[in-house]
Amino acid sequence: MLGQVFNLSLLQNTIRTATPLILAGLGGLLTMHAGMLNIGMEGMILLGAFFGVVGSYFFASSFMGVVLAVVVGIIIGVIYGFFVIELKSDEFIIGIAINIFAGGLTIFLLRSIFGVKGAFSSPGIVSLPRISIPLLDQIPVLNTIFNNHSVFVYISWVLVVLTYIFLYKTPYGMWIRAAGEYPEALETVGVRAKRMKYISSIACGVFCGFAGAHLSLGYLTLFTENMSANRGFIALAAIIFGASNPIKTFAAALLFGFFDALGIRLQVVGIPSQFTQMIPYLMTVVILFIVAKKHMMQKKKVQKEEGAIQ
Amino acid sequence: MKKVFNKKDMEYLISLFLSIVVALIIGGFIMMANGSSPFEGYRALIRGAFGSQYSLANTFGRTVPLILTGLAAAISFRSGIYNIGGEGQLYLGAFAAAYVGITFTSLPGPVGILLAIIAGAVVGGMYAFIPALLKVRYKIDEVITTIMLNTVAILLTDYLVNYPFAASQGKMGGTDMVEGSYRLTRLVPLSTFNTSIFMMSFIALTIYYIMQKTSAGYKFKMVGQNSSFANYGGIDAKKQMIIAMIISGGLCGIAGVFEVLGTHYRFLQNISPEYAFDGLLIALIVKSNPIGVVFMAIFFAALKTGSITMENTTSIPSELVLVIQSIIILFIAGEAGFKGMFKNFLMKRKLQQKVGEE
Repeated sequence: MLGQVFNLSLLQNTIRTATPLILAGLGGLLTMHAGMLNIGMEGMILLGAFFGVVGSYFFASSFMGVVLAVVVGIIIGVIYGFFVIELKSDEFIIGIAINIFAGGLTIFLLRSIFGVKGAFSSPGIVSLPRISIPLLDQIPVLNTIFNNHSVFVYISWVLVVLTYIFLYKTPYGMWIRAAGEYPEALETVGVRAKRMKYISSIACGVFCGFAGAHLSLGYLTLFTENMSANRGFIALAAIIFGASNPIKTFAAALLFGFFDALGIRLQVVGIPSQFTQMIPYLMTVVILFIVAKKHMMQKKKVQKEEGAIQ
Repeated sequence: MKKVFNKKDMEYLISLFLSIVVALIIGGFIMMANGSSPFEGYRALIRGAFGSQYSLANTFGRTVPLILTGLAAAISFRSGIYNIGGEGQLYLGAFAAAYVGITFTSLPGPVGILLAIIAGAVVGGMYAFIPALLKVRYKIDEVITTIMLNTVAILLTDYLVNYPFAASQGKMGGTDMVEGSYRLTRLVPLSTFNTSIFMMSFIALTIYYIMQKTSAGYKFKMVGQNSSFANYGGIDAKKQMIIAMIISGGLCGIAGVFEVLGTHYRFLQNISPEYAFDGLLIALIVKSNPIGVVFMAIFFAALKTGSITMENTTSIPSELVLVIQSIIILFIAGEAGFKGMFKNFLMKRKLQQKVGEE
């Protein structure tokens, strides 16, 4: 029975389920560095998933699906930025509003555009291309796990590296981090903190658009109501777990993706689906708890040592 | 005489009114884009919400869960802790009520009802206690944990009513019916309007009294506005946050109890059409004012019941109201910023005029 759960498919599924978390996580950590906790990622992913299907269906091209998802991501990124940066609204309220707006709008449009309730699937939706890496198919185990995934799996890995370089090796990355931590200092060197915040907010919209398109066009080609299934919040947990560092957030997203995949595998051996579906959500809380507890114990230890020296 | 509204309240009410009007106008444009007449759409919506005794009863029946979840959100927000987990607390509270209603069937009616309410409140409150403790002791963001726990609770009750507590007849994703004498009386035939509105009013008034008139309510407010200042003033902010969260969870649990005892007479999977999220929006729109919650709950309930008639008589999907609601909240959240921009604009005009005069 264990063999049915812990096998190569588990790792293969992990790669797949982690991808939207990686993409949204990268977007969210950019806004986090710029000093904004983006609760609205959930809605951004959902809109990306919906408009990915719209673009793919009406233009018969998965590329156009991604384009549409990204355009909508940019629009929501600008709206989020406008309210949080310009109007100085509560970022929590704006995030919640975006999530509810996305939930309502996608259900509404699902009915008014496609005339269906609940879910829309059609052979007319073109899925994103699968990538087969030439030499990898010679190596048995690695081939099963890493090869023939949807294109965004590989894009997300490249983006992890690019985001890392962007944040820590380019002036723009430094400015974005400064916009979050020392906006006044940034202004004195002539860089507008507002602009940096807008860039991060729009980038987050784009990344969440990718995540959404991967969800609806990556493997199964369909849109279902609330298909983002709180992945935006799990991505947020990955960012917190990864301390807003792209590499660590990537690792955290893989871990959360693993639990998601584990749930899928456990269903195969006959555990009620309610429990298997619960795993990623429950584990998110457990992992946040472990991280926080470890963090506190370290702090206490440091305090004790300092006390001993004195 | 004390003035009823100060200037700030007046400004807020004007912004609220404008936000609603603009959101409804945007909703009208969406109806037009959908190929329907906005006038017909809104006429159908109003008729569906207030047009007959039956529709009025349904509208007011729906305010019960909305006021409870709205107050629940308001209490947590006031104390500076965001309870987004109302939906999960509601589900568990509803299940607890159904459990009481199918297990302890020989109690006198009122006792059984009271027991169900207490069970729902306790279960909801305890479930809210988990994220509260994680927030206060370990500084874990409560927004993420409450959202995660929502899904966990909904899936858990889904399991319970499909396996151990599945109805004895038919596979319907629900429990058996609760004991007949525990069911709340319907006030208008065929509608879901029932006596829970009286119990809810009693609970809401008690909460209002606590929040507005007692030192406990003052403490909550202090903690929410400035927890370090509250600490300085001798208020234990952490304790207040935990208490607020438990009350909030308890209210959501009770909202679930009334859905079981008053509306469905059993626990059903998907028992709540996201009542707790509506409550959240309501509390955010009225800035956690308890009286505001009541009025906004009626407005939201009217939109929801009206939208069903709108969908049946025109071709406009009822989900349009979700879009309208989220636009209202967006404008309200931007209220201060918009006001600032507007005032800036007026100032500039004034200055320009002055320069022109000189």
